Amino acid sequence: MIAQYWAVTVFVLATLALLAFMVGAASVLGGRSWGHEKNIPFESGILGAGSAHVRFSAKFYLVAMLFVIFDIEALYMFAWAVSVREVGWTGLIGAAIFIFILLAGLVFDARMGALDWVPKKSEHIADQARHESF
Amino acid sequence: MNLTLTHLFALLPLIIVGITVVVVMLSVACRRNHFLNATLSGCGLILALLSVFWVQCSDHGSQLPTLVSPMVAVDSYSLFYIGLILVAALACIVFAYAYFDRLKVHREEFYLLLLCSTLGAMVLVSAVHMASLFIGLELMSVPLYGMAAYIFKRQQSLEAGIKYLVLSAVASSFLLFGMALLFAAYGELGFAELGLKLVSVDYLDTWTIIGVGMMVIGLAFKLSVAPFHMWTSDVYEGAPAPVSAFLATVSKVAVFAVLVRFFILAPTFSVKLHTVIAVLAVLSMLTGNLLALRSHNIKRLLGYSSIAHLGYLLTAVVVLRSGVSDGAGELSESGQLVLEATGVYLVGYVLTSLGTFGVVALATHADSANRDTSELRGLAQRRPVLAVCMAFMLLSLAGIPLTAGFIGKFYVLALTVNGELWWLAASVIVGSAIGLYYYLRTIVELFLPTDDATVTAANGRGQALGALVVVIAAALTLWIGIFPEPIITMVNSALPVGL
Repeated sequence: MIAQYWAVTVFVLATLALLAFMVGAASVLGGRSWGHEKNIPFESGILGAGSAHVRFSAKFYLVAMLFVIFDIEALYMFAWAVSVREVGWTGLIGAAIFIFILLAGLVFDARMGALDWVPKKSEHIADQARHESF
Repeated sequence: MNLTLTHLFALLPLIIVGITVVVVMLSVACRRNHFLNATLSGCGLILALLSVFWVQCSDHGSQLPTLVSPMVAVDSYSLFYIGLILVAALACIVFAYAYFDRLKVHREEFYLLLLCSTLGAMVLVSAVHMASLFIGLELMSVPLYGMAAYIFKRQQSLEAGIKYLVLSAVASSFLLFGMALLFAAYGELGFAELGLKLVSVDYLDTWTIIGVGMMVIGLAFKLSVAPFHMWTSDVYEGAPAPVSAFLATVSKVAVFAVLVRFFILAPTFSVKLHTVIAVLAVLSMLTGNLLALRSHNIKRLLGYSSIAHLGYLLTAVVVLRSGVSDGAGELSESGQLVLEATGVYLVGYVLTSLGTFGVVALATHADSANRDTSELRGLAQRRPVLAVCMAFMLLSLAGIPLTAGFIGKFYVLALTVNGELWWLAASVIVGSAIGLYYYLRTIVELFLPTDDATVTAANGRGQALGALVVVIAAALTLWIGIFPEPIITMVNSALPVGL
């Protein structure tokens, strides 16, 4: 293999050696400047504000997950849609059962409060705050 | 292929469990009532169990085995294991009701997860195609992650869930890679079609052996066979006790049944591969028993003992190397012995595991974080019935005569002797001898006096029903141990399709 492509091998090895030489020599010979400002992440010259560790509400993930689940389940409807004439009544019944199960899942999610954006507790607090302001 | 009413009728147990899932989901959405939802799930499983008998009896020999699609076969083999799975799931629901009764969490969704997982196990034992094998395995495992981590406020439980998730994912990837290699080599995904191609080649190439080997590794992860057993003790210990019971019974039975079916329909006749499986069997017999010696936590101990028991069972797969048919399409003698040993051993194993884990679930509180053997210490004073059942179940696990465990172990020994696998026979004996020590030690713990005066007497209908299930399991174990004829006849009539 190497004997066959010796030219390519030599080229790759030479490139690696050249790169190693450039980086190595620069780090040995070059100077180094330290400074407080140099440790700040470079954001196109604009100073960054705040930390990158933003805490998202867990609701975002829940809604995203529900979206993906129902989206993918809706994809199965395409398979029925393109063959709706061929599969006839059997297909219709099958699709109806499928949609019914999806609906049951949606009812479950809604009743569990997975679709409510504001949690029960903070809704209560918000209500109290509204009463106090009157 | 058209789906006719006959096919739907054959699928009745699966359909009933599927309907139960939707009904329980709507009922939870309607009204959160622990008793109502547990009862609904239990009724669904009982209906499914009755339908298994109906399907089995109604068309005797004429319609069965039914190949419902190229993927799912409902034959007497799958019906037998579906019945076993349903019984185990039913017992787990009873234990879960008693276990979660006092817990202040959302308890109702547990039954949803359990039903989904049971459905997956039922698909798995009916699988005759790689796709249905994978779908069944995932449908069984994915709810189990949630079940293992169900008491998420307890760190151990959460850890168990995450550990099981990661290792199951690894196992699934191995399984998929193995399937892909076999598909690349033969272009078939159905077990029987693959088997035809495998039989027609003279020499198995390395890729085939690697492919089947990777599938075996993937399934061995789920069976927690050494050296793929690392997750077992932590998951069994951390998960709620009913979940450990479910893991030890339903998931093991389903995976083992599909493994045996795969090796029957697609025999490899490769000495190399079966030597590897024999090594796995010996390793898990010794590792399981030796690790159990050092553990004092009862759930951990039972987890290790399940590793050893799966090791004993794997002998059946090793013997399958010579195939189950005698060339004329009839069941050969050794083939019949393999099926008999698998069925009888699994029935005994399921009954005893349900009993032991049931006692652990009933005797310990859901909110106690640390459960040791010492917590079962003095059980005979508090709950004499449970203690006697537990002692009997442990004797059965050890393989003492007059128990179902003895019949199972006898079959395994007969298998090894019949197949002239002397190394396996020797390690079964050594493993049982080691096992006897820790089983007897646990029994002694049960009857020791306890100095813990603060133990509250548990009562309630959940506890009573759970105790009843444990007593029934113990009685069945004794009955099979004394009079194994009916169960052997039942197993003998449960032949997989393609024979």
